[in-house]
Amino acid sequence: MSFPILSFVTFLPAAGAVLLIFVAKEKVKVHRFLALAFTLVTLAASLALYFNFDGSSADPQFVEKSGWLGYGINYHLGVDGISLWLVLLTTFLMPIAVLSSWTYIQKRVKEYLIFMLLLESGIIGVFVSLNLFLFYVFWEAMLIPMYFLIGVWGGPRRVYATLKFVLMTMFGSLLMLVAIFVLYSFYYRATGVYSLEIFDFHKLILNPQVQGWLFLGFALAFAIKVPMFPFHTWLPDAHVEAPTAASVILAAVLLKMGTYGFLRFALPLFPDALEKFLPLLSVLALIGIIYGGLMALVQKDIKSLVAYSSVSHMGLIMLAVFSLNMEGVEGAIYQMLNHGLSTGALFLIVGILYERAHTRLIKDFGGVSTQMPVFSAFFLVCMLSSVGLPGLNGFVGEVLCLYGVFKASPLLAILAVSTVILAAAYLLWMYQRVMHGPVVNEKVRSLKDMNKRELGYLIPIVIMMFWMGIYPQTFLRKMDASVSRLLDRVHNRQKIFEAQRLPEKPAAVLEEKE
Amino acid sequence: MNNFASLSPLLATVGGALVVLLLEVFLKKEKRDYLGFVSLAFLAAAAALSVLCWDKNLTYFRGTLSFDNLAVLLTLFFCLAGAFVILLTLRYMSQHGANHGEIFALLLLALSGLMIMTSSSDLLVIFLGLEVFSVSSYALAGLRRGEPKSGEAALKYFLLGSFASAFLVLGLAFLFGASRSTFLPEIIVHLRMAAAPQTLAISGVAIVFVGFAFKVAVVPFHMWTPDVYEGAPTPVTAFFSVGPKAAGFIVLLRVFLNFWEAEQGRQPFFWALWAIAVLTMAVGNLAALRQTNVKRLLAYSSIAHAGYLLVAVLARDYSSLVFYLAAYLFMNVGAFAAVIGLSKTGTEYLELDDFAGVGFRYPWIGGTLAVFLLSLAGFPPTAGFLAKFYVFSGAVRAGLVSLVIIGVLASLVSVFYYLRVVVYMYMKEPGRQVDIEVDNPALFLVLFLCLFGVLQLGIFPGNILVVIKHAISSLSVF
Repeated sequence: MSFPILSFVTFLPAAGAVLLIFVAKEKVKVHRFLALAFTLVTLAASLALYFNFDGSSADPQFVEKSGWLGYGINYHLGVDGISLWLVLLTTFLMPIAVLSSWTYIQKRVKEYLIFMLLLESGIIGVFVSLNLFLFYVFWEAMLIPMYFLIGVWGGPRRVYATLKFVLMTMFGSLLMLVAIFVLYSFYYRATGVYSLEIFDFHKLILNPQVQGWLFLGFALAFAIKVPMFPFHTWLPDAHVEAPTAASVILAAVLLKMGTYGFLRFALPLFPDALEKFLPLLSVLALIGIIYGGLMALVQKDIKSLVAYSSVSHMGLIMLAVFSLNMEGVEGAIYQMLNHGLSTGALFLIVGILYERAHTRLIKDFGGVSTQMPVFSAFFLVCMLSSVGLPGLNGFVGEVLCLYGVFKASPLLAILAVSTVILAAAYLLWMYQRVMHGPVVNEKVRSLKDMNKRELGYLIPIVIMMFWMGIYPQTFLRKMDASVSRLLDRVHNRQKIFEAQRLPEKPAAVLEEKE
Repeated sequence: MNNFASLSPLLATVGGALVVLLLEVFLKKEKRDYLGFVSLAFLAAAAALSVLCWDKNLTYFRGTLSFDNLAVLLTLFFCLAGAFVILLTLRYMSQHGANHGEIFALLLLALSGLMIMTSSSDLLVIFLGLEVFSVSSYALAGLRRGEPKSGEAALKYFLLGSFASAFLVLGLAFLFGASRSTFLPEIIVHLRMAAAPQTLAISGVAIVFVGFAFKVAVVPFHMWTPDVYEGAPTPVTAFFSVGPKAAGFIVLLRVFLNFWEAEQGRQPFFWALWAIAVLTMAVGNLAALRQTNVKRLLAYSSIAHAGYLLVAVLARDYSSLVFYLAAYLFMNVGAFAAVIGLSKTGTEYLELDDFAGVGFRYPWIGGTLAVFLLSLAGFPPTAGFLAKFYVFSGAVRAGLVSLVIIGVLASLVSVFYYLRVVVYMYMKEPGRQVDIEVDNPALFLVLFLCLFGVLQLGIFPGNILVVIKHAISSLSVF
């Protein structure tokens, strides 16, 4: 067997965390450099994934499979064109997150970095698992480091924010767990074999009513994670309280676990239920777009403005996912990456400001650009990327998304375009108030421009923004095959409407695989 | 096969109790620790002797003592639990002015009672084991003689415990009257006979169940639990939370393994148990929300866990039940060990406010306690998650979807109060000055063994599951 590269990428950060336990608390520098080194090596290893990935195949690649606990619970990893990008996004942003907390975190550096590394392992694990049990283990386990990151290093209302985050997420994922159990037992009844393999469940055809319940179980968990309106309430709290790096990871990667869940599970497993719930979900996504945008307009705190902009952007991504066509879904995945970069970058920018001025209120700033010219250039690029300026990454994603949505329903697309208008409004207005105009606050005069470390972690992001905006082929062509297979599953699955039976013994029929 | 070997683990334990009791007279007060080591040696002997009986299905006393594989497993379980408790006791007793040598003897006797309960199919013998356990446990609860709460715990436990025992005997009399036997297989055979009059037997089963429900602390027979747990010396509380629960559920397992098949009486019993399981999970978790004393919090949490175990009984998923008990042993004893660790001579820090800031101050105790609490809450990759996963997935397979939904929602509630302890440990500024004596190697040994157990059972239980499944499948069904 070849080198188990996926396991390596997944568990290397966790190994780093274990190593850090044994480094003395006082050696803060050693901790920081070790954490950075581990995240960088993980990034390098994940680049090897990218170069060896065959974009023309829809099958999962780099597959590792071995028995684990029996009864269908296997250790089964693999990436396809959808998860590959999310893994890369995670490994790309992690060193940046570590760098961004270099001076911001002064207390309990050791524990902080341990949790960051564990978080990275957990997130990568979610994206590479091909076994539902393994997926669920990572999905839940990753909550623990996030809980500590917000709860220990967060702002004044951190305990409230972190408990709300954990409990709301757990609520959804526990109901998803029940749905997993039901799937598990249906598969057993239908075939006499225990299995929790995701691709085995693709063969399982359930009657529409059962599908409806299971879909709700899965969709609720993912909708909370995304978050879709009206389950978004944890997000502004968590974002505002979390330390910068945790906000970056939360916005850039964690939210994508929700959309990824929809693409990987909710759509292909329950196509009939999806059809039934599609209007409702689309409307919720649309409400999210407009509501998030309007809320962002009235925020006084820059960080919560960016948080609400996330709600709005994620709404567009979900709407594009629900358009169920090639352009829409690819656009959604592309926009997931864009959102990760641009929102992550905006949180970093807010962090840079906060570290200097110790405030995030818009009214405390004004005229910052005169003091920090380099910073203002970076801020402008990141902000425009989030708005969707042509030439930058956000434009490509939004055009694809909106095109897909338009193909599915012109009315929805017309309404969804408001995300672009609203984004331009709240971001440009915020930029104007913070960066331009007269200096109202004397503190602003003493602000120093970005240092080399900050440049060091923003430059790669900006390079990626241009790259993704100018030459999207690099990214899109690797996902084509996987996305088209996904859509094939959703649209062309043989639909068997079984007579309704007792809830204890619902119908489960195996499709003949040709 | 009738063989004296089946009696040997029990003899080792009882013998150990007697030897320790005798030695105590000759040992100086400062050297009481040796009694603990002697008891550990006897427990190790009992464990070794019981392993020798694996897969032999030995019986003794004309079948009333049947040392089958399940009994072997449970004997090992009790030996391990007993060893943990003894290790925790070593320091605790001198710290809290309860340095009585009897504790080891009483513990061993209580353990032997539990072993009797799990290795018999005769209700009368089970009752005998229960009484041996109960009488020693009443004394154990009251061992902190200077402490009024400890006395209250002992008295409360004694009064309610004897009441429950009386119920058990009454039910036993009913059953004997109906089926002319106290031997479980014969009773069940009688219950299956459609022609026989059933009222007497059914009410007998119900009354016996009430007796056991008291011992395993399921709602509405749980009232004693928080007070007794709070008043008893903490290592003894740790023992109470795992020992009798395991024994009680194993007895239920033996009864229901065959009883479910008996059609008559199944439906009402099933729904009564269903309701009790729901109540237990709901009341246990909701009441725990309001606790500020960690011992009481763990008491309510242990009630809630009895509810999850009942789900396994209802689903007839017995290997998951045993696995859950094993996971629960490690995580709960571990949590109590960490709580014991947070104490110094004369003072125990048990209020939630005392836990503020402890996590960073005492990283090992705080860190392991956090792991145990997360495991109790059911987070992967710990044993608690895997145990819940097996129990609930088995229940869904048995068609109990609504029960499982209630169960997971109840465990969501539990996440809140377990995490609240973690919040205090890591996210609050220290209030009252907490000074603890950390030089307690025995305690750290227990902490690390439990940590190992929690992670091992959570990530790679492999062989343990195989052993449990083998033990369950080799149980005789009649």
